[in-house]
Amino acid sequence: MTAEPVLDGLSHAEALGLLRAAAARTASPLTCLNLAIAEEHAGCPARGRRLLRELAALLPGWDEPPLRLGQSLRSAGRNAEAALAYDEALARNPIRPESLIARAALHLAAAEPESAHLMLIRCCGVAPERAEAWDLLGLTLQATGDEKLAETAFAEASRRAPRRLDYALHRVEASKRAGTADAELARLALAAAADPLNPVPLAASGVLLHRDGRREQAIEALEAAVALAPDDPALARLHAGLLARSPRVASAEAALARAIALDPADPALRNDHAAVLMRMHRHAEAREILQAVLDAQGPDASILCNLANATVNLGLHAEAEALARRAIALSPAAALPRRTLANVLPYCPGVGAAVLRDALAETAARLPRGPAPIHANSRDPDRKLRLGLLSGTLKTHPVGWLTVAGFETLDPAGFAVTCLSPPAGADPIARRFAALAEAWHDPTGLTDAALAERARGWGLDIVIDLGGYGDAGRMAALAHRLAPVQIKWVGMQTHSSGLPEMDWILTDRWETPPELERFYTERPLRLADGYVCYSPPPYAPDIAPLPAGRTGPVTFGCFNNLAKITADGLAVWADILRRTPGARLVLKCHQLADAPTADRLRAAFAAHGIDPVRIECRGGSGHRTLLGEYNDIDVALDPFPYSGGLTTCEALWMGVPTVTMPGESFASRHSASHLSNAGLADWVVPDRDRYVARAVAAAADLPALAALRAGLRAQVKASPLCDAPRFGRSLGAALRAAWRDWCARR
Amino acid sequence: MDTLAAAPDPDHLARRVREMIDNGQLNAARAVLAAVRRLSPPGPATAELAARLAIAAGQSDVAAAELDAAVAADPGHAGLRRLRADVRHRRGEHVPAAIDAAEAVVLDPHDASGKAILGVLMTELGRPADAVACLAEAVAAEPANPAYVEALAAAQAAGGATDLAAETLAAGIARCLGRVDLRNAAVLLAIRRRDFAAAEALAEAARRAGIADACLFGLLGHALSCLGRHADAADAYDAALKLGPHDPYVRHLVAAAGTLPGGDRAPSPYVRAVFEGYANRFEPHLVALGYRVPGLFRAALLRLAPWNATGEGAGPTLDLGCGTGLAGLALHDLPIRPLHGVDLAPRMLAQAAAKGIYASLREADILAVLAEPGPDYGLILAADVLCYFGALDPVLQAAFARMRPGGLMLVSTESPAPDEPDPPPWRLGPQGRFVHTAAYLRTEAEAAGFAVRCLAAETQRFENDAPVPGLLGILARP
Repeated sequence: MTAEPVLDGLSHAEALGLLRAAAARTASPLTCLNLAIAEEHAGCPARGRRLLRELAALLPGWDEPPLRLGQSLRSAGRNAEAALAYDEALARNPIRPESLIARAALHLAAAEPESAHLMLIRCCGVAPERAEAWDLLGLTLQATGDEKLAETAFAEASRRAPRRLDYALHRVEASKRAGTADAELARLALAAAADPLNPVPLAASGVLLHRDGRREQAIEALEAAVALAPDDPALARLHAGLLARSPRVASAEAALARAIALDPADPALRNDHAAVLMRMHRHAEAREILQAVLDAQGPDASILCNLANATVNLGLHAEAEALARRAIALSPAAALPRRTLANVLPYCPGVGAAVLRDALAETAARLPRGPAPIHANSRDPDRKLRLGLLSGTLKTHPVGWLTVAGFETLDPAGFAVTCLSPPAGADPIARRFAALAEAWHDPTGLTDAALAERARGWGLDIVIDLGGYGDAGRMAALAHRLAPVQIKWVGMQTHSSGLPEMDWILTDRWETPPELERFYTERPLRLADGYVCYSPPPYAPDIAPLPAGRTGPVTFGCFNNLAKITADGLAVWADILRRTPGARLVLKCHQLADAPTADRLRAAFAAHGIDPVRIECRGGSGHRTLLGEYNDIDVALDPFPYSGGLTTCEALWMGVPTVTMPGESFASRHSASHLSNAGLADWVVPDRDRYVARAVAAAADLPALAALRAGLRAQVKASPLCDAPRFGRSLGAALRAAWRDWCARR
Repeated sequence: MDTLAAAPDPDHLARRVREMIDNGQLNAARAVLAAVRRLSPPGPATAELAARLAIAAGQSDVAAAELDAAVAADPGHAGLRRLRADVRHRRGEHVPAAIDAAEAVVLDPHDASGKAILGVLMTELGRPADAVACLAEAVAAEPANPAYVEALAAAQAAGGATDLAAETLAAGIARCLGRVDLRNAAVLLAIRRRDFAAAEALAEAARRAGIADACLFGLLGHALSCLGRHADAADAYDAALKLGPHDPYVRHLVAAAGTLPGGDRAPSPYVRAVFEGYANRFEPHLVALGYRVPGLFRAALLRLAPWNATGEGAGPTLDLGCGTGLAGLALHDLPIRPLHGVDLAPRMLAQAAAKGIYASLREADILAVLAEPGPDYGLILAADVLCYFGALDPVLQAAFARMRPGGLMLVSTESPAPDEPDPPPWRLGPQGRFVHTAAYLRTEAEAAGFAVRCLAAETQRFENDAPVPGLLGILARP
């Protein structure tokens, strides 16, 4: 016997009034039961439960009151009392499916799967049509380790309720565990074909494909499922979550916006949304979202970390550092907050290299590690070596531009290259890597330990890390050791990796002079010239004549990321502008497309007495357009303490010299290396006064600047900075030296 | 979690299918199309979607079947006709395609795409004047459609009006500044006119505007190489390689320029890429170039009449690198049947199949086919195919092994320029084809076991009115 309160067309209060009157008048058990349920609905559960207890005592043969009591207590989280109530209901009616299912769920939650199992077997026997009993039986069987039977139970649940996504997802998980994923995928394809309007098989196959690392196919399956049920929040969440972890940021952003519209309270969706916006360089929006999530949710370390990243990218260094430190205080044993701090500090003014090294070492110390592996690589010092390149960005990206030419010119008789990176796709630089590599493995979806084990299986002799602690980096895998020799190179190469398992850092005499070695945990592996080889893009525009004189007074420029623009740097630039009447400063980066951010920057100059009209803020653009905009610039100003890397190379290629002031950290010395390597060491200055003086002097001697500009591309092209064959030989010699060192030392 | 209730709107789903096809998400499109089919009765819109999906999946036979049924049900639907014209075009069925396109233009005279398809087909059917008329209307309606502009220029060039074609492309470039395909077409046209300075200027303008891909740098290298500026050409090829390191066309061009070590034959992907790209234009192009080899083969066979010796036919015949079947077309009325063709390029084979003269056609590598066990041939044809081989010994030896005694092999080769001092036995020419000396061809043929019955200098074709020198060889297995 079941009883549902009849409340149609009435408010809870009205229904409650009617029921109370009726119960008082008739004292009918059914009316009293309805009253109890209505009390619960109306927010008076205590009153409802009292009624249910009275009814239960009054009618000891009726299982409905204790069942309802159990439900009420369970929804209040009072599981132990709920269990007693269900036990009472089952004592009165041992085959009531609702009681069996609810009591089994409580057993399962209390880690008593055997007891749950008995009840569910009974339930499935008496009410085989109850899909949730089969589903719960599956979960119970999984808990007792019977994967095959669990899969069968989920299959029955799905068969009886083919539109329940959760049942289908349980079955997917069971098939993975039982090793029958391929069969499940084939079955889902048939199910989708048989019922093309049902989104569930499509969604389930999407989840299964994703688990198999087949991300693009997974996205397609979920796109189709979402098309069939566009208003379902669970599907929208699955779809958006998958896209958020793919390179397709624009699609991810749109999908996340849709999913959030369907479920605005989900903090995970909003965190994902912010993360995707950051990848789209929309840091101001991301920061706003994350702040709102924190306000609503209270402190959370991972959200604080994301917020710190968004904040540093807006050039708010002190605030970002404070956020990272709050995350550390919340979660002191975790690696992520330490990593966040280590990624923020290189941008912060006044942070010495020792502080940076220690922050990086603290991060590295918190990465999980297994026992040190034994490498069986043959110790022949002169044999051909297998060289692994570990990176998420072997493509059109600073890592690609600064390393591809070096690998292309590495002696193929001495080195065979394996790329450990997501698939190359159509990206032109990625295709160059694909052309030079002997093998290409996608590490996406592999755990760090699994990646390390695979890499050892591939027989890699040297692994070069090109990702660092960036989003696409796999430093945690390197902590497990992929190869006997591990080397840090470009790719979030802000400073030392701090990782004890990183044997070397590829550098040069300008980046890491002997007096700075103590700030590194690795040994320096110095190349003969600069530590990178710039590969200028074939589509770079021609260099226009010096704009100064043609379009007015001198124009200074900085096309670096806003994260690098510090209050200190800004003060120095303001000084330069004060001493160069009429001169302008063009700042260009993605973040400046946001008007409030640009206004804030101009206001900071105004606070130094510089008329804001002298500051031109430009947002992001395509790469070729960016290069072309150097034709508006006479002299580039390097930010500090985090200097330009690829940006400085590009300025040089476009005929624009850069004034730079290196510090102690690796990140502060990129420009010094590139300029020295290209024969422009006279643009590298040791302190602020000489930074200002160098920029002012350059602006005062336009003929010299014009002459330099006219010949700069040819000079750079002929210099070691762009001499790929020379670089390849130097790189090969350095790698060979590192290998010989390993052979000799063990 | 609640049960998922899907009550989608079929029109919305159809739009999603279209978007998914455009995004290359064919599996998703297939799944959603199945839902559309469940929700809506069969009709032209669904058939069109299904056909587009099949085209995107490379299943032209499925698309054709879908459209045949849909057109039969609704013969007055212009969209279906246009789409079927496109499918038939892809399948090399030019005349039926043209009929569909013409029907579509009649049914919907304001639609530019039907005129454009008809124009392209007219070019390919050797009727450039009609093509120009159709395409000019399409371009007038949509002057910023780069595909129409390129097709109009191609039609004008096919009709000999290369100046007009260049003007058309220049106007198109001015309207569609970012389109690299138009830039490449203009550079290619200049190269075909042997106006290498103009080609360089066009390519440089594109480079300066930042509208340059691997192909453009490859063409620039080609133009510079023809101007004798080999160092500059090497730079251009280097840029081409950076942008398209895997592009077989670029790699072959670069190898031809001597920047990469050259192989001893053109790579199969190169041959396939070149001819897939040109499949639809190949035949008119060669005929317009005064392609003489099929005629030379026919004259040689009529002179030798090998069928007289056997008393029956001279076949079976194997046509190596049969392409669109031009040699077969020239010879198929002679007693040389059955005629079997082999080529690397499926679209060329589709055109050969449309001629209905081959007993079999295979998409395969020549050396692989010759290496297979099988019946011996009485006649092997190698028309304009040895130019994709450097060293000839493998192909000649393999062919010899598959011939019956008394059988003939007819070959054409390209030769070094008559004034080239001391040419090597073979080398890769700047056009990406190999040239061979007569002495080398004779030596290798004899080494393979052939008796050389004839080795005559013959012009192969004309490029920009200049004869391309070559050889006609008649080799007999004793």
